[in-house]
Amino acid sequence: MIKPKFDELIHAPTRLSIVSLLAATEWAEFGFIRDSIGLSDSALSKQLTTLDEAGYVEIRKGFVGRRSRTAARLNSVGRAAFEQHVRALQEIVARAGASVLPE
Amino acid sequence: MTENLRPEEAAQALAEIQQRQQQVIRLVTVPAWFFWAIAGLNVELSAAIESRRPLLLGIGIAVFVIGLLATIFRVVYGSVRHAQPRNDLMPPAGVFAILGFVAIVLAVTLPAAFALQASGARYPATLGSLIGGALIVLGGPLLIRYLHRVMRANASGDSR
Repeated sequence: MIKPKFDELIHAPTRLSIVSLLAATEWAEFGFIRDSIGLSDSALSKQLTTLDEAGYVEIRKGFVGRRSRTAARLNSVGRAAFEQHVRALQEIVARAGASVLPE
Repeated sequence: MTENLRPEEAAQALAEIQQRQQQVIRLVTVPAWFFWAIAGLNVELSAAIESRRPLLLGIGIAVFVIGLLATIFRVVYGSVRHAQPRNDLMPPAGVFAILGFVAIVLAVTLPAAFALQASGARYPATLGSLIGGALIVLGGPLLIRYLHRVMRANASGDSR
């Protein structure tokens, strides 16, 4: 049973998009996250640093040939926080009824 | 903060979460050419076996093995090159659908080949493989569409 807990750090719009994307993956490349969400390199880097500092993501840096590759994954702490946040959102919506659900 | 969040905003956040999950689900895709390649390789192997010529058989097996490995590698590498979707996005219904699809192809192909053999057809296994190949080419994209649907439903269950 997941306990609902609203997470302000995750709820910020850009971070919510990033964490939602990461929650559906085992790991994702920096470029994939950037292009999927439509962020600049610096904006994504900043948000990932914030999530890293909160202990929610792990950032892996490596090389494929001469090109550097950065990948991120949501760790167990981040995954649990995301699940609790989703549950909190669901509770808010459930209290209001189905009328607020977007089509 | 929870108290300050309006239900509409919470619903929008859930919709955003769902949209991002669907972006990841779209990575799990198998192009139509994959099914043509698999069907073609099966027919090619059957024809090589039924030729009963050692040289053709050797070439046929080599082409089948190399072709199969290259095809699978290309599709798998293409899917997980930039991100790896979580395994639990695929519900048991999806796994059963894949197994069921393979079972249907075999259940049609093998009896067809035996029936053709019994009726004296010259290349029963090759003809049977052609029937199986047609099923793979026609049914493969339908299977992928179904898998995307059950994965979306599974992901929605997580986030709503």
